[in-house]
Amino acid sequence: MHSMKLKLIYPEEKIKEPILSKVCKNFNVDINIRKANVQEKIGWLELEFIGDEVEIEKAINLLVENGVEVLPIEGQVFIE
Amino acid sequence: MAKVKGLKCKECGAEYPVEPIHVCEFCFGPLEIVYDYQEIKKNISREKIEKGPKSLWRYIDLLPVENPTVGLSAGFTPLIKAENLGKLLGLNNLYIKDDSVNHPTLSFKDRVVSVALSKAKEFGFDTAACASTGNLANSVAAHAASAGMNCYVFIPSNLETNKIIGSLVFNPVVVAVDGNYDDVNRLSSEIANEFGWAFVNINVRPFYSEGSKTLAFEVAEQLGWRIPDTVVAPLASGSLYTKIWKGFNELIEVGLVEGKPPRMLGAQAEGCSPIYQALKEGRDFIKPVKPNTIAKSIAIGNPADGPYAVKVAKESKGDIQIATDEEIIEGIKLLAKTEGIFTETAGGTTIAVLKKFAEAGIIHKDEVVVAYITGNGYKTMEVLEGKLEKPIHIKPSLIEFKEKVIGKNVKVGG
Repeated sequence: MHSMKLKLIYPEEKIKEPILSKVCKNFNVDINIRKANVQEKIGWLELEFIGDEVEIEKAINLLVENGVEVLPIEGQVFIE
Repeated sequence: MAKVKGLKCKECGAEYPVEPIHVCEFCFGPLEIVYDYQEIKKNISREKIEKGPKSLWRYIDLLPVENPTVGLSAGFTPLIKAENLGKLLGLNNLYIKDDSVNHPTLSFKDRVVSVALSKAKEFGFDTAACASTGNLANSVAAHAASAGMNCYVFIPSNLETNKIIGSLVFNPVVVAVDGNYDDVNRLSSEIANEFGWAFVNINVRPFYSEGSKTLAFEVAEQLGWRIPDTVVAPLASGSLYTKIWKGFNELIEVGLVEGKPPRMLGAQAEGCSPIYQALKEGRDFIKPVKPNTIAKSIAIGNPADGPYAVKVAKESKGDIQIATDEEIIEGIKLLAKTEGIFTETAGGTTIAVLKKFAEAGIIHKDEVVVAYITGNGYKTMEVLEGKLEKPIHIKPSLIEFKEKVIGKNVKVGG
């Protein structure tokens, strides 16, 4: 079983959409939310995806396709 | 008793042993090194430090390493009294901490990487890794080479390879990932957590970031064991800024200096200023931004230590300012023409912001001020293309030389 700690950042216009629910319904991934801040103009969650590597990858792709920024828990690692 | 007690979550305070871990299992907060200052106080003294190596390792008692083996020549860079720039800005006690000449790869990254990889070797790692095209990759690749470690550097595949020649020369394995920056970020995290590698700003980050404290230690010693009134430093992830603060506080804690910690002034590029925005809007959390600035080395849109940097700015009664790309270029040129130091865009940002604070009267003329210059301009000369004076073209004729050069430029021969 694979796990990934992630930070999801929702753009303002996507905050009201049930995107995480789509992930739950479509893929065999357990979602463990640890921290979140969802308000009118801000939406981010820190969570863990637990499941098969391929399923987690599909879940991430769905989030990205829906406009959610999916970062590792460490934030921006890459430095120019 | 050991000088390091363990690791502690910066958010919830959960404690952990000294291991290559970086995220709290409970709240996912970042971990930080906890020292036993009472124990350190018994062993540390100005005399002992002054007799130590001429490198950052003279402060080993306040670093989370027992046996330094990597980056033995890093640190102990010049602190220069900037008379010319000071005069121009109306500051009588302005100093430049010049990490543009850090050894071996000419940026402050040599400090953090030395500490990270020395610790990595203690943990038994044989492979170093990072995701970078710039100063970080230069430093990791160079130190891994000298330490005999394997080295992997991750970059997005759409970048030109000539950007990484300064790292390629050290012969790391460069992995070009088909994807955008976020894809590289996620893959790096997965690799760091799956492989027994020292991914410098991921799984050994608590140790890596401690290296920046030496920027405070050295300045205090070079000023004759005193703390400056104000410092100005660039903000990227926020780590350097918060660790400089931590460094000065530790010196007071262990009794090496007296007084209070400095006021912390910070500099961000306007095109990537999430920490500045959080401070101005009174937020304790960071809204990530998409960077759009020439200051690539400090362009971190989602800074891991952003909230802690905001806290330090407030606690130290400091402030954070921003500089436009144009002001950054002017900052680079100003430092070069007044002090003969060629810095890169991060340094240009710091100087531009120093100028703003000085002109606004936020810095008093007699304060002892230290501006941190963290990188070298010779690495990114392309940012100055078209921004500098052009040569004066003449025929090989003395008459033309007198007419076009002497006649035009009163300074020459004057």
